[in-house]
Amino acid sequence: MSDKLVFRVHPSINFARFGTSDEYILSPETSAGLPQANDNVTGGLPIKKDTESDPVTSNDLRDEEGFLRKQAARFRIYAYENGKSEYPSGEGTEVTIGTVLPDGRKVKTMLWSCHLANKKSAAYNVVNDKGIKAYDDGVPQRRNPEVHGDINDPNRLNQLMIDPGPRVINGRRQSSVGFNASTPAEFVNNKGEVTELPDYPIRFPQDTNEKLFEPSGPLNTLGEMRTDGMGRLLLLASSGNAVGQYDEYDQVIQMNGDLNNAGWFDSAADGPVDVTLVFEDDSIEQVHGAWVVCCDPAYAPQIRNVVSVWDNLYDMFVRKLSLQPDLYDQASDKYNCEYTPSFTQDIKPIFIACNLQRWTANLPPFALNAHTAVDAIDAKDDPNKTIMSGLNFIRNPNKDESNIGAPLMPLSLGEAGTSFLTVTKTQYFNLEQWSKNSFSQDEGSKLGKGELLDIASLSNCLGGRYVPGIEVSYSIMDKEIYIQDWRKSGAGPFRIKHKRMDYQGLNKADPYLNIGWIPRHGMTDGLEPGDLSKFMAIPWQTDYNSCSIHATAINTDGVNMSNGAESTLYWSWPSQRPDAVYVAEEVINNVLPQQKWSVRGPGTYAINPASAATFQNPVQSVTDWDKIGFIIQGTNIDDKYKQYDANLYLEVEGQLTAPGDASDPVAHWPFNANPKKKL
Amino acid sequence: MKLDKEGFGLLELHAHLQYAVDLELWTIPFYMSAMYSIKDKNTQAYQLIRSIVNQEMLHLQCAANIANAFGLSPKINVPVYEGTKVPHLDFSLDPQELVKQYEPYTAEIGPLDEEHINAMCLIELPEYDTQLKSHAQNAMVFCDTPTEYGTIGAFYQALLHGVALHKDQIRGGLKQVDFFAPFYRNMPNLTVTGSKDIGLSQVQLLINLITDQGEGFSAKEECVPKVFQNTADDPQPAQDHFAKFNEIKTCKDDRPETFQGGGADDSGLQGILIEQFAELTQVFQAMFNGENPKQFFPIMASVGASIRNCWQNGVTPSFSESTTQEEK
Repeated sequence: MSDKLVFRVHPSINFARFGTSDEYILSPETSAGLPQANDNVTGGLPIKKDTESDPVTSNDLRDEEGFLRKQAARFRIYAYENGKSEYPSGEGTEVTIGTVLPDGRKVKTMLWSCHLANKKSAAYNVVNDKGIKAYDDGVPQRRNPEVHGDINDPNRLNQLMIDPGPRVINGRRQSSVGFNASTPAEFVNNKGEVTELPDYPIRFPQDTNEKLFEPSGPLNTLGEMRTDGMGRLLLLASSGNAVGQYDEYDQVIQMNGDLNNAGWFDSAADGPVDVTLVFEDDSIEQVHGAWVVCCDPAYAPQIRNVVSVWDNLYDMFVRKLSLQPDLYDQASDKYNCEYTPSFTQDIKPIFIACNLQRWTANLPPFALNAHTAVDAIDAKDDPNKTIMSGLNFIRNPNKDESNIGAPLMPLSLGEAGTSFLTVTKTQYFNLEQWSKNSFSQDEGSKLGKGELLDIASLSNCLGGRYVPGIEVSYSIMDKEIYIQDWRKSGAGPFRIKHKRMDYQGLNKADPYLNIGWIPRHGMTDGLEPGDLSKFMAIPWQTDYNSCSIHATAINTDGVNMSNGAESTLYWSWPSQRPDAVYVAEEVINNVLPQQKWSVRGPGTYAINPASAATFQNPVQSVTDWDKIGFIIQGTNIDDKYKQYDANLYLEVEGQLTAPGDASDPVAHWPFNANPKKKL
Repeated sequence: MKLDKEGFGLLELHAHLQYAVDLELWTIPFYMSAMYSIKDKNTQAYQLIRSIVNQEMLHLQCAANIANAFGLSPKINVPVYEGTKVPHLDFSLDPQELVKQYEPYTAEIGPLDEEHINAMCLIELPEYDTQLKSHAQNAMVFCDTPTEYGTIGAFYQALLHGVALHKDQIRGGLKQVDFFAPFYRNMPNLTVTGSKDIGLSQVQLLINLITDQGEGFSAKEECVPKVFQNTADDPQPAQDHFAKFNEIKTCKDDRPETFQGGGADDSGLQGILIEQFAELTQVFQAMFNGENPKQFFPIMASVGASIRNCWQNGVTPSFSESTTQEEK
């Protein structure tokens, strides 16, 4: 390592989104819903291919044949002056091919490597009402228990784990290096040499299944790598497809639930991203690597989650890994009451998120007016004169208020074991400071460019309610998975610790990976590929589909613990999994039409409102997820005949219904499930 | 013998419709202040009063809708909280052995304590009590232009009588407001859409909703009829207000911890609340006068937030300058 510089990949955790097209756009690099300098387009939109930051318009979301474009996760390298290990550092200079460092060395190339895997079918069940607590006294039941062996038995791993092995790419504008069976596995050794791994035990479902049900084609890749014109890594997810096994009667194994379907595989994945800088003088520098997660398409990219993965991760780093001692003192376990949060960075995003929920949830008009008032609060307002005075309507995470519904906010469903969502303790502390008029009106960001990329990436993902989640699950909040000595190591915060893998002693018959890290078992040696996505539902589509609206008892073992009616319905993941939307083509003269369910049309008609907005047959969720529309800002909707206001966020590019088709009606909240049948 | 159309003329009816609005509005800050004085929102007392406050807002809406159906856009007067005076209720008209169970009481703004719980019980005293019923009937017989009643139930009995006498004056669809329909999925309609006989049925339904939610349906079946029950967010939707307040009263040992007021108002929180409440009354006025003020709910919510903020800072909430001055 240079004496003067440390190098880090940003975003430290990035998300590649599924798409059925071979073409791609780029994952967003701005934070959902937040205002952008000199532009009325808010953050969160994906980026046009081959551009630095041009947000997509609606026509970019699908290719000419109507297939959904993938969203490639773009990774960059930033150089930091040694010793600047405080957060935020406020610095960081991007390094690309051709960059000359202060010591005169010129970057010849960047050797990117990544290893994706999918361990879902081999892993443990998701227990929706226990969450991470399911690991407190052992482990949950294994998925696919009919496959013989303990959790790390090679027999199970060979049959149930998808592992294409590692791949390497370098140079400018390099085309696809696939995570498939036909592309050789390679890795970069610690001398910066690319080494082929001909004996790597590549595993795909077809290796051990003579026949598979493949409604959206074969599952033969977990994604691919490319580079852009600057040598940055572009990591593309797979098509997001899922395949099922046949039973002994030659029938497709039916999906019997949302989370842990036996006999099914999907092509979600995750894994470490590493890079070695190679200079013209053939010297090398190791870079603190990153992590990529390949996951759902993010149908409402600008609709900000009130609690995002960023909020959870920031909260954990603040309280458990001494991120900002001026904010929170870990020794005394207390926030600093002298700390002044930034209105722009710490307060306003919560208010904006509140107001954006209207575009994906069926809120009643009086709530919309209240949300408008929340969003209208600016830094100059006296908090005591606002609707947020005394934080009267915010559920306090320091008290046991998670079973109290309206008017406490957020009103969506909470984490496992609780009825309703709460903001994080750090979010709440910052709000408390604001409500006491103890905040900064400073508009300037103290964050470096790489640090902003970390925030953007993570704040565009679902937080709070990891049951099990959309992109990642509760494990993302566990400090065990991170580089905990982030200051001393120079890695910086929010960086997942990679389990050391030297790829020695490979044997095609034996699986290389095992089941890997699990929470609450003192495992701190880092994550293997597949160790984040294995906590998600299998296949991903059934959970996405079902997590529309529920009564609170879904979280609390079937018993209504809330203070309201047991049949009252709430939204599961309203920002990240749109429920009720306004269809752009039905908007005339910027007058909003009636809302429609995001998932609608043939196959979605529900007798019980609790099942509305979902494909009634889970197989349809596997085949038709890519037909769901996207919710984007009016400014970026391509329409020859109409212009849309910038304050509208509307559904575009949906393929589930045509104008005029019948669909289940959308009632304003509060609305109810059908009563339980009396025995 | 009940008063006839001449004895209970349209002017008297309009006066009673205004009383209904006055009375329902009066309860909202009074109950809200008691509720927000409770520190722990999880407590049964807090949750029960919250459900009652929500229904008092519904009752205000119903009262205003009925008034507008009779061509009266009600006036929204800033309520006065002084001594033991509750507008249009005179507890001396009730059997005193019953009233004594709920003394002492106060009609001044304050935290949830014995005097305020007593007041809330007295306000919601059930009219189905036979003794009370006879008192109410007596009031109607002997009083030409009654302005005060022993119970809310007695008052609404009189109103029911009056609206039936003047049913031909009912015009449906005039300046009707509805914020609550999704919370009452079993209720056919919370507005008056029909005229004359059809309108009368709707008016009677709204009055029954108010009384059955408030004092209950009957002594034997202490249960709010299904049609009037909240379907969304009431912890005990079948329980009427009187039963809920009595539950709080009888659980003395579990009385929730409350904030204490009376402190210095260094931050001007009382002034903010007074200002916001004045704005709220203006919005109510506009809303029940056929306008569509979008800021209604934000202001309503802001008033709630300000009440809480007052308590959290040791300041007793206040809703008008006169009260503040007196306290000073």
